[in-house]
Amino acid sequence: MKEEKKSGGVPVAIIVGVLVLVVLGGVLLYRSSATPSPNTAKPANASPQPQATISTQNAPPGATPPNAVGPTTASVIIEEFADFQCGSCGASYPVLRDIIKAYSGNPNFRFVYRNFPLQMHDKAYDAAVAAEAAGLQNPAKFWLMEEQLFTNQATWSINQNYRDIFVEYAQKIGLDVDKFKADMSGMQAKTRVDQDMSRGKALAISSTPTVIVNNKIIPYAEVTLAGMKRIIDAEMQKSTATQQAPPQQAAPASSGVNSNAGNK
Amino acid sequence: MNSQVETAGESRGRWIAFAAAFVAVLGLADAVYLTVHHYTATPVPCSIFEGCETVLTSLYAEFAGIPTAAFGALAYFVAFSLAILAAYENRTAWKLFGVQVVIMAAVTCWLIYLQAFVIGAFCQFCLLSAITTFLLLLLFAISKVKRAQF
Repeated sequence: MKEEKKSGGVPVAIIVGVLVLVVLGGVLLYRSSATPSPNTAKPANASPQPQATISTQNAPPGATPPNAVGPTTASVIIEEFADFQCGSCGASYPVLRDIIKAYSGNPNFRFVYRNFPLQMHDKAYDAAVAAEAAGLQNPAKFWLMEEQLFTNQATWSINQNYRDIFVEYAQKIGLDVDKFKADMSGMQAKTRVDQDMSRGKALAISSTPTVIVNNKIIPYAEVTLAGMKRIIDAEMQKSTATQQAPPQQAAPASSGVNSNAGNK
Repeated sequence: MNSQVETAGESRGRWIAFAAAFVAVLGLADAVYLTVHHYTATPVPCSIFEGCETVLTSLYAEFAGIPTAAFGALAYFVAFSLAILAAYENRTAWKLFGVQVVIMAAVTCWLIYLQAFVIGAFCQFCLLSAITTFLLLLLFAISKVKRAQF
């Protein structure tokens, strides 16, 4: 039988050397890439990131009436394109919910939710249909179903019996379950989802959540409570200044989203 | 046997073990990157075009509160150590290496299944890790087919 050869400390030295390199590399990588959490740490007066402007003039209106909070005459209109199975949308949900609560009742504030289920999320389309089916019974129930879907995302998104889970949510929020099931299978809720998706595609939405404030796409890192408040307040101030300025100096702050306000 | 004379089988085994160590280091670097990403990455939106964030933010990105990638980093480091010991003619190390890469390949198959059928998205860094694991398995299989000695 062959004896194992003694090769001194060379292999041990190599192993220890690689371990040291890995630990050092990991620490350096951690230090270079560690950034504050976007939903908590960015100060309210931080410099905003550039916001891309989009034109909504030729885009289809999406589901009409939309799932919206606030009057169509509002000067600040937020439109969110989201996917119930997207983890980042789930992470943004509490922020946008708090924003809606903070500005609820403000005549210059309107929030519109648009379905944009991504193809790679196998249950996202059905989840959007479930939310719309809830909204068909009562528009307020859409928001309750939205809450269920986002707050329990980790549960249903990995369960093959997710449709049964949606029915449980329907029961929980007080829906007529038989009608909910029928609407899940029917065309009306699906058509509304498809209409929202058509609008999103026309606007070249490529990721979720995409949050648009008065025609400006807000970078995801800015979708924080402080960041959104700063943006909304600035838009409201801009609108107020425009209204107070002499007519010859007044210029429309935006056109597309606001011009479509009647559709939202 | 004269220990100063290296046979063809021993030379082959040594180079296969060094190649395995090299591949394990690639896998280790990938796993360390994913582990660091787990703790530091700023969440990014879900993109139409790729699903890395979907995978890395999924329920399966952690096990018992520890990033899945950290288990991968540990496994690659052990595989690397065993390969280096085998390259310096520790036969037991190569046998243990074989057992480990079979386990790693089985876990990798499960992770690929999760990406394909449960999460519904693929992450390129996870797929790179899968490639390195299967390369390690391939190198071990080659060592058996070629009767490489350690």
